[in-house]
Amino acid sequence: MLSRTADSIYWLARYVERAEYLARILEATQRLTALPLAYCGSTNEWESAVATAGCTGSFYKTYPEANEETVTEFLAFATVNASSIRNCFEGARSNARAVRTALTTEMWEAINGTWLDLKRFGAGPFTREELAQFLRWVQESSLRFDGSAYRTMLRNDAYWFSRLGLFIERADNTARILDVKYHLLLPAHQHVGGPLDYFQWAAILRSVSALTSYHWVYRESLKPWLIADLLILNDQMPRSLASCYENLVRHLDLIARAYGRQGPAQRLARAIRTRIENSRMEEIFQKGLHEFIGEFIADNNRLGSAITEQYLV
Amino acid sequence: MRIRISHETSYHYDAAPTGVIQTLRLTPRNHDDQYVVNWRIEVSEDCRLDVHEDAFGNIVHAFTADGPFTHLRVCVEGEVETQPADGVVHGAVERFPPSLFLRETSLTRVDAAIAEFARKSRSAQPADPLSTLHRLLDCVHGEIVYDTDPTHVGTTAAEAFALRRGVCQDLTHIFIAAARSLGTPARYIGGYFHRADGIIQQDAGHAWAEAYVPELGWIAFDPANGICATDAHVRVAVGLDYLGAAPVRGTRYGGGGERLAVAVHVDQAGRQAQN
Repeated sequence: MLSRTADSIYWLARYVERAEYLARILEATQRLTALPLAYCGSTNEWESAVATAGCTGSFYKTYPEANEETVTEFLAFATVNASSIRNCFEGARSNARAVRTALTTEMWEAINGTWLDLKRFGAGPFTREELAQFLRWVQESSLRFDGSAYRTMLRNDAYWFSRLGLFIERADNTARILDVKYHLLLPAHQHVGGPLDYFQWAAILRSVSALTSYHWVYRESLKPWLIADLLILNDQMPRSLASCYENLVRHLDLIARAYGRQGPAQRLARAIRTRIENSRMEEIFQKGLHEFIGEFIADNNRLGSAITEQYLV
Repeated sequence: MRIRISHETSYHYDAAPTGVIQTLRLTPRNHDDQYVVNWRIEVSEDCRLDVHEDAFGNIVHAFTADGPFTHLRVCVEGEVETQPADGVVHGAVERFPPSLFLRETSLTRVDAAIAEFARKSRSAQPADPLSTLHRLLDCVHGEIVYDTDPTHVGTTAAEAFALRRGVCQDLTHIFIAAARSLGTPARYIGGYFHRADGIIQQDAGHAWAEAYVPELGWIAFDPANGICATDAHVRVAVGLDYLGAAPVRGTRYGGGGERLAVAVHVDQAGRQAQN
């Protein structure tokens, strides 16, 4: 397979995953701000949404203030934001078009259909209800695309590269959510057990579709350290760091086996996975969750560039 | 090195037992220089394999098989990829401070002979724990003859030392006992060893020791081969002595006339190019 083809497939999957993640953040934020003020405290949810998306710098170049209107505009529709939902779908579609023959018909139709539908939504402005519909549509589009890839692709290097893109992006997203909300996860919080906590934590879980899973796994009320445990160490949870790395290692191994050659990307992925596997929550909290996540995000980026270096250029 | 391992433990009973309970420490974990590519455990009877982690961080499987049956076979097989690390263990699971591994056990009790033996190996360069351990490694390897006959699984370090004979398990116990008597934390490692002489079929797994050197961490010494562990060693279980790291422990209800056969294959798997 040409590096160029692998690169397009990898980024196609990354962009679709990122669009879905942005929709999840916006939805969670919308839900939080819809609560009565007494529940919400004084933090600016919209500011933290921008931080979770990892684009605080570029946001304040365009907008003076973070509020519902500007953040929604920026994360969903702005053409100036390289990773707004609109631009993610644009990027995904142009990558898909470049490697049209490497994709199945179903995948192409899913992504092209999404791109065509995107025009229907125009540039806003939206009522809250319309926005909610839009965000659902984004998530459904991503589900449709991912499902069609899963169901129709031949299990060869093209499929494996699409998984790499997906899981690198997903690991980054989960880590960012934890990092931005980490102050909430600190046990010594003033309002531990209060309604503010409950809604904030539920929002974290909801943004990675894990609220129900949480209750299945722990069968108790929301506890910050258990949430961190679920999103970092639980390999049954499909968006946890452990699960993302299990998948990354597996697909990198499959690529290495098919090509009969392995390199820095495999070694790095295994090392990161080993570290997660051998960690325990008490140790992570002792060392500092923020430090752990910061290190993880840096490692994950390093793996991203190792994959790029080894296969995509 | 990519190492393919299969380890089969089979029991034959003249009188069928009504049940068997076993715990298996047969699953290696990843650390920085060891990566488990795939690993599988099979038990010949219907049972549920429960996985948990013991206090040292070993992966333990436990099962109960209901009899009667006259044969029981526990098979593990898999592939592990290792990197050479000059005997230093990086990134392994550590649940306890090193000083815990100074604790004496009945299999590693220090008697006067071992204490004297340990003292002699120290006298050369008292200030440097690493070279003391290397000297100890050479002494154990040189003085104890590798012999599968006179010892059995319950032989203590002192008994084996008195005989000056033993298998890798006994040599490791002697090394651990001697190191602990010098105040160096040491622990027992159960695992597999890929032999450079091309012998693939082995009668048992391998055993070696790890000793703690401040500022360097845990260093693996293999007294049976007289070397530090290399990428030919696959680390499976950690314990204070053999009993803590034994691959299979268990008991049975009823039955009798038990005969045990162990077959271990350790081979190099198809090589992959590294770049």
